[in-house]
Amino acid sequence: MELPLLEQVKAGDDAFHLTSSARNSERGLVQLCSNGVDVPLPPPPGPGEQYRFHFDMTKCIGCKCCVVACNEQNGNPADILWRRVGEIEGGTYPDTQRNYLSIGCNHCLEPTCMTGCPVDAYSKDGPTGIVRQNADICIGCQYCTWNCSYGVPQYSLERGVVGKCDMLCYGRLTEGQNPACVSACPEGAIRIEVVRTAEWREQYRTDANAPGMPSADDSLSTTRITLPVRMPRDSAKVDLNRLRPEHAHWPLVVMTVLTQLSVVAFSSIWLMQIFGAHLHRVAALVALMIGTVALGASTLHLGRPIQAVRALKMWRRSWLSREVLMFTLFANAATAYSAALWITLPGGFDLPLLRQMGVFQKLTAFLALLVRQINAMLPAHAVAVLGGLTVIFGIAGVGCSARLYLAPGRPGWNSPFTLLEFYLTAMLLGSAGANILSGAATFTQLAVIIAGIATIFAAGIKMIWLARSAAHERRGVFILLFTVLSNLLMLRVLLLSAGLLLVPFAQTRWMAAPIALLLIAGEFVSRYLFFVSVVPSNIATEYLAMEAA
Amino acid sequence: MSLLNWVMRKSGLDNLSAKYSYGVDPVLGFTSTRKHADKWVKSTCGYCSVGCGMELGVSKGKVVSVRGDPDHPVNLGKLCPKGLSEHYTIDAEDRAKYPLLRKNNELTRVGWDEAVETMVERFRAVQLKYGPDSAGVISTGQLLTEEFYALGKLVQLGFGTRNYDGNTTLCMSTAVSGYKRSFGSDGPPGAYADLETADVILLIGANVAENHPILCTRLEGNLGKTLIVTDPRVTKTAMMADIYIPLKPRSDLALINAMLRIVIDEDLYDKKYVENHTTGFEELRASLEAYTLEYAAKITGLTPELIHRTALLYGKAKAAFIGWTMGVNHSTKGTETVNAINNLALITGNIGRAGASPFSITGQCNAMGTREAGFASSLPGYRKFESEVDREELARLWNIPVERIPSSRGLAYPDIIEAAVAGKIRALWIIGTNPLVSFPNIDVLKHALGNLDFLVVQDGFHPTPTTELANLVLPAAIWGEKEGTYTNSERRASKANAAVAPPAEARSDFEIFLAVAERLGCREELFPGWTAPADAFEE
Repeated sequence: MELPLLEQVKAGDDAFHLTSSARNSERGLVQLCSNGVDVPLPPPPGPGEQYRFHFDMTKCIGCKCCVVACNEQNGNPADILWRRVGEIEGGTYPDTQRNYLSIGCNHCLEPTCMTGCPVDAYSKDGPTGIVRQNADICIGCQYCTWNCSYGVPQYSLERGVVGKCDMLCYGRLTEGQNPACVSACPEGAIRIEVVRTAEWREQYRTDANAPGMPSADDSLSTTRITLPVRMPRDSAKVDLNRLRPEHAHWPLVVMTVLTQLSVVAFSSIWLMQIFGAHLHRVAALVALMIGTVALGASTLHLGRPIQAVRALKMWRRSWLSREVLMFTLFANAATAYSAALWITLPGGFDLPLLRQMGVFQKLTAFLALLVRQINAMLPAHAVAVLGGLTVIFGIAGVGCSARLYLAPGRPGWNSPFTLLEFYLTAMLLGSAGANILSGAATFTQLAVIIAGIATIFAAGIKMIWLARSAAHERRGVFILLFTVLSNLLMLRVLLLSAGLLLVPFAQTRWMAAPIALLLIAGEFVSRYLFFVSVVPSNIATEYLAMEAA
Repeated sequence: MSLLNWVMRKSGLDNLSAKYSYGVDPVLGFTSTRKHADKWVKSTCGYCSVGCGMELGVSKGKVVSVRGDPDHPVNLGKLCPKGLSEHYTIDAEDRAKYPLLRKNNELTRVGWDEAVETMVERFRAVQLKYGPDSAGVISTGQLLTEEFYALGKLVQLGFGTRNYDGNTTLCMSTAVSGYKRSFGSDGPPGAYADLETADVILLIGANVAENHPILCTRLEGNLGKTLIVTDPRVTKTAMMADIYIPLKPRSDLALINAMLRIVIDEDLYDKKYVENHTTGFEELRASLEAYTLEYAAKITGLTPELIHRTALLYGKAKAAFIGWTMGVNHSTKGTETVNAINNLALITGNIGRAGASPFSITGQCNAMGTREAGFASSLPGYRKFESEVDREELARLWNIPVERIPSSRGLAYPDIIEAAVAGKIRALWIIGTNPLVSFPNIDVLKHALGNLDFLVVQDGFHPTPTTELANLVLPAAIWGEKEGTYTNSERRASKANAAVAPPAEARSDFEIFLAVAERLGCREELFPGWTAPADAFEE
């Protein structure tokens, strides 16, 4: 067999030209690259400007090089994706179109992740405009995952903190290197640009929105998206009709129900003290215990519970932080109030048991003297004031607690209905507790029934509103409640109805207690449904994804 | 993890910031510290046949990261998601670590010497009793070319059985047969660079955006092209097309034949080229009698206008490229379709010049290597079994009597399995493939494997559904642990290097073949003085 090339090589001919890749000469500012040939970065942003992503949907082939390159750069495991690729489709075969979205973080002008963060873990970098997240400051409360309507921040179970795309700024951009996704894309669909923020505020609506993307109005996303010239008008994300119940967030179910119960229980106790001169010391202790359990449970929601106290920091900006502040004040006031209720009793800590144990006689005598001194020093209405403070902080706390759920990333929660629901829970459970304290007096029985009817009414109106909403996430809540979660919904209705129906038949305090328990159970189920039925706002996901990112 | 670690983590005192820290690496730049490497080893990707060049970053004896090789002409530094995460395969679970021999119906660990000795003994026994062709070998498309070459000689000349084939038959044999029938020899004409210079590109049965994404860079770079994509589904590749042809499944042959007829009828073919370089033109014309536009439209579900337009585009193109993969290959009419595609290219002279080519895009990373040097469906170097001249040349080069070189190929993969069912093949050696997962007819396969006297499975992983049925499991090294060359779709051979050592007692397939040859007694004859794959390359 003749092998002409081999002959040439043996004869010393230059048969093989070693071609250097001409394209490699396009290096510009870039010294190093991990993947691909880097395109030059734009010059750094000046005042009134920031970096931002440009995503060209006409070039993207949905290959996910960007996703894997990002994971490799950041050392993330496969279940955390700081850049995600989603699919949108529309049209009728054979005139269908499948297009792809590749989204990291949108480095918004008004980042909702930052506004809501209780510990100031987010910051919008001055020179570059990049929204940076600090994993060491983060306490893992995951509030940002509710606030971002794009689902950008991702909670890492392994680390107990949240993380997200940060355009690898102070690491790569300042060295003149592109982020990993820009370098890796074989089609050059992702680029870094510089944008003038004032101008962008005027024109973002046309370029920041796309099918499969939540509205850019929520946080003023800066990512510019180039859409294909002709897209089918019905283009939508492929997972539009995939509805799955969300996590239950059990610590929060417990916390919200029990704080609401505790707050109105204290309100009832206080009211009965003022208007009825009854001192329900034991009830106060019980309510205090419930409140403590509730607030303790809430720290279990954090990835880093031991850092919980830092959540007080951002009360000026974050409703979550305000809730923590109000409930902390409530807890302190409630403790003082409960203690005061005990102290104002004649005799104070003069418990018979201790008396009989002669060893402690001197101690109890000293304590009794102390108590009498304090009693003498206290202004007459000090106890009532403490009670009043408890109630005010408590009601404010419930309000903040409800208000924080009005998050852009959770449309089903983002309405005044949430505030109504939380307060109605408080009224219902509080009246049921008061009903026990009053020994099933008529006015407390009425209060329970009115609160119960109001709850049913409000729930009914909310269902209608959800079912008829223009937002698919809200219609999704309705669908979940009446299909996958319908058994639980029925249970909730049964518990509430049973409790209400039994109210007139309970004439003593001991018969009022089971009713309260029924109603509490009903509220737990209701709150559980609140958490699991919400449909998050998010970018499109892949067609066969087991779970949306 | 320890109790203390658990408490630290659950309470939030430890957020694993050390594990997730960043730093500046001289090669990668600012990146996760776990990706920083002490040395970088150049290699070639072992997944698909695009054959991208890459570098493996090694730190403390493990491959921690990869990057595209910016100087490699195929990919110029880009890598697709498979390449970017390929280093995870090396440390994946269930790597095969030790030779395992089935004793008392349980696979027990043995040493290499015992393993190889048992294998050779049992194979020899079977061949003595039932004839030399009662031993079969099923190989793969993922070994290095040097390993294929060594294996081919070992099987055909050492063991002396012709029943040797690879899983590539299930996949690419259509393209191989098609090329052989059209051109007399296998070997796709054309190169990736043609994607950049062609003015009409027709992709048929190929979803390159999904499966060979790095090729899309070249498609995107070719601004003056008309891209026609033929696929029953609207795939990612169809979304890139200028013209999308939604033909019914399995109607590719009708479409190509109709195009052939239009090109011939409307005089768009290159008469000089046909006269100088082809035979059988009149028979071709006669065979297309039935393929009127209406007939083809009925079969393909397309409009006659679309078929006509596509044929005109192709016929009038300056340089037209047809690319296909498994949509064409995996069909009972695959070879005919490949022939039809080759015919189209031949009659229009769209072959052998820049941008013009009937180009089969291969699947596995080195299916080309086994076609070139494997000694399974043809003699090494694309030579033919049937050609006496070729056989004599090889006999001279190898210093053996020409009678030892077979004059025809043996059974193909599915026929080997059938032969095992019939009891004609009694010993089987499966290398680098997992038939229990990839063979189409599982019941026949299980029957076949159950019928064997001795089954050897050589794989990088254990347990796999196939290794679990073996009498002998030989642990092999995988990509990144051995050296040699891979040949990609455009017949470019790239070197792959070892970055780390194979786990425990696993060895490279090359070493295993030499060890078997030694035990068989033919090592010095077939592999004189060989110690490394470079020796195979030289020969």
